Amino acid sequence: MSRGSSRLVWDGERLATALGAPGRRFRADPRCFIGEPIVGAWAHVCALAEESARLPFDEPEVQQVRRDALAWWIPLLGDELVCLTTLAVDSVHYGGAITVARDPAFFKEDPFARLFPGTFARTDIFCSVTPPAGPTIERVSGTAWPGGEWHNQ
Amino acid sequence: MSTAVAPAERLVPGRMFPDLELPDHTGRRRRLSEIAGDDPVALFTSRGWWCPKDQRFLRGLVALQDEFEVAYSKLVVISVDPPEVQAAFRSGLGARFLFLSDAERTWLGQLGLRETTDTVHHPYRPAAFTLSPDLRIHRTYNGYWFWGRPTAEELRRDMREISMRIRPDWALV
Repeated sequence: MSRGSSRLVWDGERLATALGAPGRRFRADPRCFIGEPIVGAWAHVCALAEESARLPFDEPEVQQVRRDALAWWIPLLGDELVCLTTLAVDSVHYGGAITVARDPAFFKEDPFARLFPGTFARTDIFCSVTPPAGPTIERVSGTAWPGGEWHNQ
Repeated sequence: MSTAVAPAERLVPGRMFPDLELPDHTGRRRRLSEIAGDDPVALFTSRGWWCPKDQRFLRGLVALQDEFEVAYSKLVVISVDPPEVQAAFRSGLGARFLFLSDAERTWLGQLGLRETTDTVHHPYRPAAFTLSPDLRIHRTYNGYWFWGRPTAEELRRDMREISMRIRPDWALV
């Protein structure tokens, strides 16, 4: 994959970024793939491989889970957190979220699992990304939250 | 006679706020320019969790965060509380914005915002700064007296004025 691509594929068991990899395609926060990958990290993939598993990003429950991520999920993970990204199906729909950590001990608390059930997966494809400062929960031009930025004048 | 400008006198509209770096409430180091990104910032210095005036003021910011969360703007609070104390205070408030810890008093003197009436704990004097994304100071507020702090309406006005200037697609036509 090209560095900084947002493409991510999930087949229900494995995550991949390669073009043509089998599974459901999502767009993730591209910053998660820009840096040096953390080898042997754990991903909690709160998404399903079925294409029908989607919700509008603007639904209240999808807004609230982002608030929860800012309020307590990120602080709870502390230094174990590698990165976190929602999974965009298109410019409107949320397909899930992935939290990547060095230790999966807290994954059972994952608020994103309220929307789509979580699956543990070993992964070597994500790099460390500074978590969002908050309180912004809105997306930028359809980019998977918390990625994206406006280009001011 | 020295012509040096005292630190607090540099913190005036039009000047740049220092691009300080401090640990946040989780202990992760953060640089102010990275926090701002492309968004306006409302930055507050606070005496700390124990101050009744700051508790009241921060509850007001928590009420306002529902607007900030959809308005592409940032809220940041700096105090001398250690990160673990800030994390507990933030959680109790229900805040979803960032607290920065200057427990080592790294920036307290440089900013010239040491509280003069507490000679034991050396906290920050309450102040507020509204900043453009490049950290240029838009407006300042001296919160030593509670009524000197910005109201929600004043913060809305400042965020609107900054956004109007920086968002290229602000105008309707």
